[in-house]
Amino acid sequence: MKATDVDIPPNSSDATLVEERQPTPALPFLGRAPEAFMRLVFREDRFFLVLSVFIGIFAGLSVVCFRFAIAWCRIYLLGSGATLTPLRMVLAPSLAGLVIAVLVIHVFPLARGSGVNQTKAALYIYNGYIPLRTAVGKFITAALAIGSGHSLGPEDPSLQIGASLASALGRRMRLSRDRMRLIAPVGAAAGLAAAFNAPISAVLFVIEEVIGRWTAGILGSVVLAAVSSVVVMRWFLGSESMFRIPAVQLERPSELIAYSVLGVVGGLASVAFSSGIATLRPRCKALPPWTQYFQPAIAGLLIGIIAVLGAPQVMGAGYVYIDEAMHGQFTWQMLAILAGLKIVATLLSFVSGTPGGMFAPTLFIGAMLGASVGGAEHVLFPHLTGSPGTYALVGMGVLFAGFLRAPMTSVFMVLEVSGNYSIILPVLIANTFAYLISRGLQPTSIFDVLTRQDGLELPSMEEQREEGTLRVEDAMRPASRAVLDTVLNAHESLDQVLQCWDAKLPEVRLVRMDPTGWSSISRPALEIMVKEGKGNLTLSSALSGRQILFLHPDNPLETALRYVDRWPVLPVVSRADFRKLEGVISQQDVLKRYQLFGEEEDISE
Amino acid sequence: MPEPQEDTQSVGGVRRQFRRYLRREPVILALLSALAVAFFLAVTALSRIYEAQQESLGNRWFMRGAAELKLRHFESAATEFRAALLYSRDSYTYQLNLAEALVGLKRTAEAYAYFINLWEREPENGLVNLELARIAAQKGETEQTLRYYHNAIYAIWPGDQQVQRRDTRVELIQYLLNINAKAQAQAELIALAANLEDDPSQQTRVGDLFLQAQDYEHALAEYRLSLKARPHDAATLASAGSSAFQLGQYSLAERYLQAAESANPNDAQSAARLRTAALVMQMDPFQREISVAQRDRIVLEAFAAAGQRLESCSAAGAAKGPATTPVAQPDLSEAWTKMKPRISELGLRRDPDLVNTAMELVFSIERQTSNACGAPSETDAALLLIAKLHESN
Repeated sequence: MKATDVDIPPNSSDATLVEERQPTPALPFLGRAPEAFMRLVFREDRFFLVLSVFIGIFAGLSVVCFRFAIAWCRIYLLGSGATLTPLRMVLAPSLAGLVIAVLVIHVFPLARGSGVNQTKAALYIYNGYIPLRTAVGKFITAALAIGSGHSLGPEDPSLQIGASLASALGRRMRLSRDRMRLIAPVGAAAGLAAAFNAPISAVLFVIEEVIGRWTAGILGSVVLAAVSSVVVMRWFLGSESMFRIPAVQLERPSELIAYSVLGVVGGLASVAFSSGIATLRPRCKALPPWTQYFQPAIAGLLIGIIAVLGAPQVMGAGYVYIDEAMHGQFTWQMLAILAGLKIVATLLSFVSGTPGGMFAPTLFIGAMLGASVGGAEHVLFPHLTGSPGTYALVGMGVLFAGFLRAPMTSVFMVLEVSGNYSIILPVLIANTFAYLISRGLQPTSIFDVLTRQDGLELPSMEEQREEGTLRVEDAMRPASRAVLDTVLNAHESLDQVLQCWDAKLPEVRLVRMDPTGWSSISRPALEIMVKEGKGNLTLSSALSGRQILFLHPDNPLETALRYVDRWPVLPVVSRADFRKLEGVISQQDVLKRYQLFGEEEDISE
Repeated sequence: MPEPQEDTQSVGGVRRQFRRYLRREPVILALLSALAVAFFLAVTALSRIYEAQQESLGNRWFMRGAAELKLRHFESAATEFRAALLYSRDSYTYQLNLAEALVGLKRTAEAYAYFINLWEREPENGLVNLELARIAAQKGETEQTLRYYHNAIYAIWPGDQQVQRRDTRVELIQYLLNINAKAQAQAELIALAANLEDDPSQQTRVGDLFLQAQDYEHALAEYRLSLKARPHDAATLASAGSSAFQLGQYSLAERYLQAAESANPNDAQSAARLRTAALVMQMDPFQREISVAQRDRIVLEAFAAAGQRLESCSAAGAAKGPATTPVAQPDLSEAWTKMKPRISELGLRRDPDLVNTAMELVFSIERQTSNACGAPSETDAALLLIAKLHESN
């Protein structure tokens, strides 16, 4: 909270409330223009914006290369046809798993794990430091894993590649610590935007899940990086969305009930998915170290077996099959089976420590589940008009909200991918149900679970969002004593003070200064005035130039904390009429309220 | 003089600062730009290799799919086209061929998804509209079917546009006939006939469609046009005879059917129709250019035939039980018996109005018995046709 959020009396002499101004050196030999130009262009915050564009370009180019690498791995490891041979389906992910394990254990140890959490760790722990080696490792191992058929996606690695590149660039530029901390999320947004081909969702996700706060400086850099990376990606790979989007229409509002059912099912599936990861990952990590060499290979082998047994769709990121599900190319029973098998396959890949992301599998599971629920509902209620594509799209948002716990991003992601505003109501309804169910049944989000499993203590964005804020109104007391008026002289004022004297309360009385604000005076000060023969002096002349700060009931309590040590008591006044006293607040009141808040937290825990 | 010294310091400081800026930020920006350009060029080169490979793989799978589609191996064709689409997801040709293969596999819903996507990209594509019309027809969506058929008729077609458009209209007409929308079918047929080339087989085909749409006049006109070029075509002669027969132009029908029979003696249907037409002409007492004696003889024969029909019908009814006996039949039988004594050559000559009265009773008996007593004999059928002919007149 800035000081300017609090009302300052017009003639306040409080130096701390006035923004500090930097002295501006003159440039007599060139006039002021070049100096202003240099300041404008090369000030670090401006330079950071320019740098963000470069970060976006480099991240976009890297993501394009990453996509090529995945495609080449797929062609050479699994084959170029639509139908895969059983031998390749089993061998490719298993052998690739062995290579990946060796690379991850011996060459790129940081390539394992969630890119989102590593970016958060860079922001909160390592002052923006992510080794460039991580990007190289993530690039190679994730391309191998996804290309060979492990059930993982390219988005999280792209995010981490972007963050890592940005961090390396920031280090070369010798940016200040504050900027360095922010540079990794900027790169992360660029990487994610290029991977998703969805800049708004990427920006929102990074703000919602990594940075956790909105400020103009951060937002500008993140947006610039995301936009430039998407422009670069589209230059090479085209602007088509990842799926052919079917026509979306909501003909009857009553159909929202059908989407609510999807929200409930999606919420439960999200809980099952995240509980599986939360339970299995530490167990796999606890196995003897030599097993780490074989875990990705065994996961690959099991995924291959699932594929050979009739569900090759679970291999890789699976965008082709999301597209097919959207266009009604599977029965609802098959869609439900695919959703279940994809959860199993992704669990196997992820808990075995194979590098790769969970965004694409989440979208896959959501699309299959959505289209399946839609299909089943159509069987039961043939009059429903929603197409499988609509349900699949909503399903993707549902899993995003329920599993990744990014409610805002989930809504915008579906809107951005579908390019259709008609879908907003079903998405909002279904996502809300999924989020609430997931939050209710699994209080800790998957990112926080992974962070804690890795032994880190990063701030939880979800907990931050839901944290209560104490306000001045929670701590203020009613103004039990009459306020002194400025027309009174010192004698009269002292009489009034003595009439209702209470030794337990502070000796200070508030004075309403017409028309400019508020001031205060203590009983000893009045007594001294009387003793010195200034009893006839009015309060207005005695207190001229000694106005005090006032607060409003809705100001955060932490704002009050900054000022209560300077004055024994502060007036809390109405925003509509600053002369109307709503209450008073002192340092003791603030501390007492914080103490009470801590006790409430302990009880709730 | 502290002030000028301070100013000099400030100027020097700013100069140093300016030089430092020039040494650092612009250089950094230039280096970053150069790096970005180099990276961009490298990715462009990589992208070319990637695109070339994707294109070649896509083409390879497409060619395989096209060969399978030609052999009507729809399953493998669909698989190959899907593989081709992995490398060029938005290729119109690949999608169209995959959709065709899916139609062959009767996976209509999947095919529809592709066709509708293609239609959104190129709403004027004839083949896509035609396939969408067929799918809509299968789903029973008449409005959509007509819309897509009409789109297809006026769409852009590869190759011979006229032929494709004509065939599409023919398909539309057949669809309309299937759903019994004869009036719409006739309208389409008139449009089709207007744009028809001078091709006898096409004229016969259109004539057949007119015949199905029960527009016998236009059908006959088309057959006549066709017969100008192929006067001995048995099928066209038979169809022309049939059209004339339906129009009640029995002498014309007789001529065509005779020619048809001589061109194809095995055509039993035409032979039967010819016999009926001959009988109609023989048994019509109201035809011009016959003598009174001949007319009276025809009336006597018709009256006798009606009596026989009544008798056989009553016998059949009695054998089946009282419930099957027509209600009005006893009245007709009674009327016939009552009139019988008056129906003789002498009676007819004395009372010329009796011809009409007798024939009216005959027509009533034939109509009634045709509804209630099953298939009529050839004579009865002829009498029924004569009844219809004079009823319309």
